[in-house]
Amino acid sequence: MKGYSRYFAKKFMWFFITLVFAIILNFVLPRLMPGDPVQAITGKIAAGINNQTAVQKIYREFAEKFGTDQPMWKQFLLYLRNLIKGDLGVSFQQYPRPVSDIIKSAALWTIGLQLPAIIVGWLIGNLLGALAAYIRKGFDKILVPISLFLGGLPAFGMAVTLLVLFGITWKILPTSGGYSFDMVPALTGQFIASVIEHYWLPFFSIVLISIGGQAIGMRSMSIYELNADYVKYSRFLGVKDRKIVGYVFRNAMLPQVTGLALSIGTMIGGALVAETIFSYPGLGSTVLKAITGQDYPLISAVTLIITIMVLVASFAIEIIVGIIDPRIKAAQAE
Amino acid sequence: MKTTFRQIFRQANFVIGFSIITLILLVITIYPLFNPGSPLQMIGQGTFFKPGTYVNIYDSLDTSKVYTLRLDDAAANRIGKKLLPADRETMRAWLIAFGLPEESVQIEYTDDLLQLWWNSYDENVRPQGMTSAARKAAARVDAKLAGLYNMESLTITQPDETTGEPAQKMTVSETDYVNVSDIANVRVLPLGTDNFGRDTLKELLAATATSLKIGLLAGCIATLVGLALGLFAGYVGGIVDDIIMFFANLFTVIPGFVLLILISYSIGQESRGATTVAVVIGFTSWVWTTRSVRAQVLSLRNRDHVNLSKLSGHSLIRILVTDILPYIASYVVMALILQICSGILSEAQLSMLGLGPKTTEVPTLGLMMFWGMQYTAHLNGAWWAYFPVIVMIALISFSLNLMNTGLDQVFNPQLRS
Amino acid sequence: MAKIMLDVKELSTKYITRFREDVYAVDRVSFQVEEGKSLGIAGESGCGKSTLALSLMGYYFAPLHYISGSIIIDGKTITGMAPDDVRKSVLGTEIAYIPQAAMNALNPTQKIIRFIEDVIQAHDSNMSRKDIYDLARERFEILNLPADVLNKHAVELSGGMKQRTVIAISTILSPKVLIADEPSSALDVTSQKMVIKMIFDLMRGGFIKSMIFITHELPLLYNVTDDIAVMYAGQFVEKGGAEQTVFDPIHPYSRGLMRSIIVPEAGTREQKLEAIPGTPPNLKKPPSGCRFAERCKYAYAQCYVSDVAFTNVGDGRGYRCVHQMDRLKEVYGRD
Repeated sequence: MKGYSRYFAKKFMWFFITLVFAIILNFVLPRLMPGDPVQAITGKIAAGINNQTAVQKIYREFAEKFGTDQPMWKQFLLYLRNLIKGDLGVSFQQYPRPVSDIIKSAALWTIGLQLPAIIVGWLIGNLLGALAAYIRKGFDKILVPISLFLGGLPAFGMAVTLLVLFGITWKILPTSGGYSFDMVPALTGQFIASVIEHYWLPFFSIVLISIGGQAIGMRSMSIYELNADYVKYSRFLGVKDRKIVGYVFRNAMLPQVTGLALSIGTMIGGALVAETIFSYPGLGSTVLKAITGQDYPLISAVTLIITIMVLVASFAIEIIVGIIDPRIKAAQAE
Repeated sequence: MKTTFRQIFRQANFVIGFSIITLILLVITIYPLFNPGSPLQMIGQGTFFKPGTYVNIYDSLDTSKVYTLRLDDAAANRIGKKLLPADRETMRAWLIAFGLPEESVQIEYTDDLLQLWWNSYDENVRPQGMTSAARKAAARVDAKLAGLYNMESLTITQPDETTGEPAQKMTVSETDYVNVSDIANVRVLPLGTDNFGRDTLKELLAATATSLKIGLLAGCIATLVGLALGLFAGYVGGIVDDIIMFFANLFTVIPGFVLLILISYSIGQESRGATTVAVVIGFTSWVWTTRSVRAQVLSLRNRDHVNLSKLSGHSLIRILVTDILPYIASYVVMALILQICSGILSEAQLSMLGLGPKTTEVPTLGLMMFWGMQYTAHLNGAWWAYFPVIVMIALISFSLNLMNTGLDQVFNPQLRS
Repeated sequence: MAKIMLDVKELSTKYITRFREDVYAVDRVSFQVEEGKSLGIAGESGCGKSTLALSLMGYYFAPLHYISGSIIIDGKTITGMAPDDVRKSVLGTEIAYIPQAAMNALNPTQKIIRFIEDVIQAHDSNMSRKDIYDLARERFEILNLPADVLNKHAVELSGGMKQRTVIAISTILSPKVLIADEPSSALDVTSQKMVIKMIFDLMRGGFIKSMIFITHELPLLYNVTDDIAVMYAGQFVEKGGAEQTVFDPIHPYSRGLMRSIIVPEAGTREQKLEAIPGTPPNLKKPPSGCRFAERCKYAYAQCYVSDVAFTNVGDGRGYRCVHQMDRLKEVYGRD
C-alpha cells in the first residue's frame, strides 16, 4: 500500500502546483497586455455617460477593485483573496451581474454535455479499435480510414454537418440552445424532455469525433499487445482464447486511460468550440460571447474554470490508472 | 535511405495521403494564376450569392447579335422557374379543398399542375373549409399565372437627350436569344459568394494556403522547441531534465487551448496577424513532442555508439546531432506532421471564437468558418459558405494523418497487417 | 527398454509471411525421447530450433503452419487432433513450453495466482480456487520458490524470479514432455544455475517425464542433457549421445560447430577455435541438395544435386551426409 499512497501524494502535489501555476498565468497574462486595461474597461462601462466626474468615479472604483495603483504582488494577493471568496468580478457585458453567477450555470451545462460524451466516445472508440485489431481483415480496412477521417475532423465541422443534416434538412432535432427558447428552466418533465431533445446533436458531434481518435489509438495498442510474448505463452499453456483476449484488451486499455488524461484538455477545447455552433448555454458559447463583447473578467473566469475542470479530470483519471494498473505501483516501489 | 523511401512510397496509406495533399498544393498554387486579384475583394453587393454563372444583363441586352430560337418548352420552362414552391403549395391547397384527391395533385410536375389548375380554378367558387385569406392567395397566384402567360414583347426605353421623354430603344421578344460567348461580362462563381460578397472559391483556396502556412510554421516551431527540449532533457538528465519535465508536466495539464485564448486575447485584435497566431500556437503546443522525444532519447542514451562518442570527447551538441538525432529522425518527422495538422485545427478553433488573425489582411479556413457561422450561413442554406471549408480542413487533416499511419507502418513493423 | 515419451516422425512445418512467401523452417525432423531422458538441440541462430520447439506443441496458429509428419506423446498421436482438443487435453498436461523471453512471458497486469487459475481451469474447470491455490503453493515450496510470489504481479518480480516462476507455471500440470527454449540465456550466471537446478529438480521429482532443451550454448547442453541433436537450416544433421556428439561428431557441420567453441574439458586447451565460413541458406528457397553443401569443405558435385537422407547408425546415433561415417572419420583424421 505504501507505493499507492506515495503515488497519490505525488499526484496530488502535482495537481496543486499546476493549479497555482494556472492561477498565476491567468493573473499575469492579461496584465502583460499593452495599454491601461482599467481605462479600457471604464471606457466600455461609461460609454454614453457624459458626466466627466461620474466617469472619473467609475475609473477610480475599478482601479481600486483591481488594485492597479498597487504593486504587482499586492494585486496578486487581492486577486487570490477574491478568488477564494468566489468573487470573479463583474461582467462588463451584463453589468452588474457577477461573473461567478454566469459561470456557474454555464459550467454545469458544459460538464453535463462533455463528460458523458467524452466517456461514451472513449468507450465506443476503444471497443471498435480492439475489434479492428482482433478481427483485422475487412473490418480493419474500413474502420481505419473512417476513424482517421473522423478523428481528424474538427469538432465544429462535425457539429455543423450534423446540425444541417438533422436540424435543417430533415428537421428531426432542434438546432440551437440547451432547451426550447420559450421555456424557463425548471424540474418539470416537459423541460427535461426539451433538454434531452436539444442534447443529441451536440452530444453526438463530440462522441463521433472522440470515437475516431480513440479507435486508432486502441487499435495500435491492441495489435502491439496481441504480439506480446505473454499471449503466445498463454496460448501454449492451453489458456482459453476468450481469457487471452481479456488480458490483451485490459492491457491495451490501460495506456488508453492514461492517454485520455493527457488529451482531455485538447478534447474539451474542441468540444467547447462545437458548443458555440449550437449556441449551447455552456462555457463555449459564454467565452465566444465574452470575446466578441470584450468582456475581460468573464474571459478570465472561463479560462480559469476550464483549466480547473481539466485539472480535476486528469487528476481523477490518474488516480484511477494508479488503482487499476499494477505497473504504476511497481514503478513507485523502485 | 533509398530503400526506406521506396518502402514508404509502397505504403498505400502514405501514397493516398501524399497524393491528396499534393493535389491540394497544386490547386492552390495554380488557381490564382488563372484568376488573379485579391481574394478579399468584395465583388458582390449583398450576402451569400449562390454558386453559378452570373451573366451581365446590361451586356446581354447590348450585344450586336440577337438570335431567334423557337423552342416548344420555352414557355413551360419560364413558368416552371417562376412559379415558386410557395405558389405551388397555395395551388395545391386550393385544389384539394376544391375536392380533388390528394394523390392526384403533385406540385413537382409543373405541366400537370397547371393543367389541373386551368381545368378547375374559378375565382367564384368557395371551396369548403378555406379561409378567405387562403382564397385571396389563390386568386393572387392565378393572376400571376395569367401574367406569366402574357407573351408580349418587352420594350426598353431611354430618356430622349433633348426632351427627356422616354423613347423606345429596343424591344425584346420572348424568342430572342443571345450567345453567352457574345456577352462581354460573364462571371462563373463556382462556390458563390460569402457574407462579404467575396468569391468563395478564390477565398477558400487563398485561405487554404494561409492555413497551411500557419500549420507549417506552428508545427515547425512546436517540433523544434519540443525536439530541442526533449533532446536535452533526455540526454543531459539530472536537473535539466527535472526542470524541463516540470514545465512539460505543467503544460500538459493546463490546456493549450486555454493558453491560446488568454495569449491571443492579450495580444489584441490589431496586432494579431497570421504569423503571430502561428507563433503563439507553436509555442503552446511543444509539450507533447518534448515528452515523446525525451522518451526516445532515454532509450538511446546508453547505446554503445553514444558511449563511444562520449569517450572520444565529442561535444554535447555533436553527440546529439550525429549520434542521437538520426535514430529519432523518422519519429520527429511523424511528430512534425501531427503538429502541422493540429496547428491548422488550432487556428480554426481560435478563429471560431473570434481570436483568429486580423480579418482585413488574410483569409484563413478558421476565419471563413467563423464568418459563415456569424452570418448563420448554415441556417440560411448557404452551404457553399461553410461546407467547402469543413471539407478542406477534413481533407488536409485526413491526408496528413493517413501519411502518418503509412510512416508508422514502415517504422513500426508490428503494426503491419 | 524404457518407455518412449515423445516420438516425432518426419515433422515438417513452415511459416507463411505477410508477402505470402513460405519459409520452410522445420524439415522432416524425427527423433524419440525416452522417459527420464533429455534431448538437447543445438544450432546457430535462425536454424529453426525455436520453430521446432513451437512445432512440437502440436498447436499451430499463424504464421506457423503444419505440413506433415506426426507427434506421438506417450502413445497418443496429437497431430491431426482438433485444435481445441489439443488445447484442452494436450497443452500443459502432455507437453509444456518454457519460452525464450521469460521477461515478457507473463501478463504484467495479472497476479501470478490468477494466471495459474486460468491455466488450470482451462483443463479442469471443476477445480476450486482454493484447491488451485494449495496446489500452486505446494509446488512452489517444493521448487524453493517463495509462496508470496503467487500474490504478486509479474512486474514486481526480478528477472531470475520471473523465469523460475514461468518454469513453475509451465509444469504445474505435470506435463510428460517439457520443452525449454533457451530458458537461461538472458540471465546472469547465478540465476542461470538456479534455473538449471530447478529443471533437474522437476525431472527428479517426477513432475516432468522427459525434456527437450534448446540452446545455442553447447557446453551447457553437454552438461545438462543426455542426448544432443544438431540442427542446421531446419533439419537435424546429427543426433547422438551428448558425449559422442560433442567430442566425436560425424557431420561436417557438427564438427565445425564443436570446433568453434571451447568445451571446458581436459585436453581442449590446445585446440584452435575455428569459424565456419559462409552463411546458412535462405529457407524461403532451400537448396535442392544438401543444405550445408555451400559451406562444406568436403562437398562434391553430388552434394548439390540429390536430397540427403538421415542415416541411423544404431545406438541412437544418426547423421545426414552423403559420405559414409568411416570415410568422414578418415578425412577428419587427416585434417
